[in-house]
Amino acid sequence: MTYKPPAHHSLLLNALINPASLVEYNATKWELLLRSARKVKLLGRLAIELKNRGLLDHIPLRAANLLQSSLIQVKRLQQITHWELNRISWALKDTGAPVVALKGVAYSLAGVPESDGRIYVDLDIMVPKDRLSDVESTLTKKGWVHHHKLSAYDEHYYRAWSHEIPPLVHSERETEVDIHHTLSPPTSRLEINTGLLLSAAVAVGNSGYRILCPVDMVLHCAVNLFQNNELADDLRDLLDIHDLLLFFSKNEKDFWKKLIERANQLSLGRSLFYGLYFSRFIFQTPIPENLENDLNEKPNPLSRRIMHYLVPQALFPLHPDKHSRHALVARSLLYLRSHWIRMPIHLLVPHLAYKTYLSIFPAKQ
Amino acid sequence: MIVGQIPFSEFFSLLSNQGLRVKMGPFNVQIRTASSTLAEHLYSLYGDYELVERDLAEFHVQISPVRLIKKPFSPHARFFLDGRSLSPPFPAEQALAALEWGINLAIAARINHLLLFHSAIVERNGYAVILPAWPGSGKTTLCTALVHRGYRLFSDEFGLMDPGREIFLPIPRLMPLKNESIRAIRNYLPEATLGPEIRNTHKGTIAYVRPPTESIARSDETAKAKWIIFPKWMSDAPLRLETLPDSEAFLLLASNSFNYEVLGDTSFQAVTRLIRSCRCYKLIYSDFDAALTAIDALTDDI
Repeated sequence: MTYKPPAHHSLLLNALINPASLVEYNATKWELLLRSARKVKLLGRLAIELKNRGLLDHIPLRAANLLQSSLIQVKRLQQITHWELNRISWALKDTGAPVVALKGVAYSLAGVPESDGRIYVDLDIMVPKDRLSDVESTLTKKGWVHHHKLSAYDEHYYRAWSHEIPPLVHSERETEVDIHHTLSPPTSRLEINTGLLLSAAVAVGNSGYRILCPVDMVLHCAVNLFQNNELADDLRDLLDIHDLLLFFSKNEKDFWKKLIERANQLSLGRSLFYGLYFSRFIFQTPIPENLENDLNEKPNPLSRRIMHYLVPQALFPLHPDKHSRHALVARSLLYLRSHWIRMPIHLLVPHLAYKTYLSIFPAKQ
Repeated sequence: MIVGQIPFSEFFSLLSNQGLRVKMGPFNVQIRTASSTLAEHLYSLYGDYELVERDLAEFHVQISPVRLIKKPFSPHARFFLDGRSLSPPFPAEQALAALEWGINLAIAARINHLLLFHSAIVERNGYAVILPAWPGSGKTTLCTALVHRGYRLFSDEFGLMDPGREIFLPIPRLMPLKNESIRAIRNYLPEATLGPEIRNTHKGTIAYVRPPTESIARSDETAKAKWIIFPKWMSDAPLRLETLPDSEAFLLLASNSFNYEVLGDTSFQAVTRLIRSCRCYKLIYSDFDAALTAIDALTDDI
């Protein structure tokens, strides 16, 4: 089964799966493609795919210019995010706290080739929960400050219910640093054994940096997408899963077997199930057939059917000029789902009520 | 075909339906709005812009009305770039300013294949004159005077430089005069076409000058730069034209760019070559005639 999408989805999907075919696109198709790709943060990806094939000169000049522009921005953001990791490692050296880089920077440190064109705005790192206050106070002593002035409510949200502390930024720089102590909000039904993740983390050459081991990296990506995010416009994250699966299955011995075993050990089967399912469904990732059968935890058939219809509508961007009602409904349902699985009902209802109130009467900044 | 060649009814129909697509220098912009007032202003100020027939548009902007719960009876609007609102709602009568600023913001946020100087650029005798913005420069006012006295308008806001070829690209747009400059230009250039005065914006009162017809018609003709002049308007000051050390010009120019840091090494090399190939000056003036005479003399010497 493959995804049979509306026209603007298939322009984008085809561009991602078969970049060489972009030389056939006319101006009208390019315009819609560029707008759609920008919405889901994939302009840099298209740019690098065409550049690597030497095809940037074979597409309309205006499209090539926009792709070049976004690639230059992507490169700059990558550079300053890597520099921020360098500074964080320096600042935390004496604390002895193990620091693990996550997400975009980690994919690049792991050598995933597609990460060259991936945009990442923030630096995400993970430290053990019992070192969190030490890490935070060391960084604030060395020039990092809280990025946004938080209301008492937001401060409480982060400290009590979130898997991150309020973001920091160095006072002389602009990269936001998100410090995680686990992979998913403590209020969710998942209880992740963070110790296992940290002890399996691997060093990157002699750089002094650490990243999650390959299977944990895939699991984190799947948990982040299907457990933490609201899925709207998150196609880039599903593409991350696809890229990681392709890369690690080629380079790691027994990757698929280890992936399933680790998901079972960490009880992350549901998120991985969806990750595998949609990566194969949308990007035709060559995943061994029936691999998911060995997962201990899987969504029930009804959930699967519902997700099957809703998820692509949310992941792909809305048509820039005419928003489909189906897609809007799918996105609202997945928005509610994301909160539902992150928070128990006695926290969720007051939280959503408060957010609705704020959207009508914004708090004074 | 240019905007002025279609009747207003067709112009307004484009704006309120599939979008009006116009060529602004190297970029094509699609504009949508259902506001007839904004449409009338645009029809008179955008008359020389070429309509985009087949090519793709880089920017898609829209001005749409919003109703504010706190001010239900005063009409407000929002600016959208690709369906995303970038700024808080503004009073509907400021729509033209919001549109022009919004397009600037879109260019500054998205374009990195060109180096974007915060600067006015005009051309004379085949070469570009760079008039960078710095506090109190009055670059737009001086630029308005120059382009009504034989200089070709590239931009009053964006110096678009192709860093590889070291050429500047024209992007003639409406020129926003602020506060006292509006009267100064009305007095000095009675022939200039000004749009409505837009009051109470965050920059005070704004009135837009329509770019000269020829500047828009020739907006594909690029030029190399030969002069960098940092202007400063000072009330009653006698005219002073001083050469500026290259190092100082470099720092002033680089720190006044929208994307110097994003381009990294490319922009460092490009600005270095630019400064080496240009003569750099500081110009203090209070009187347009004296300033024009001085700049004429400089640009005659090629």
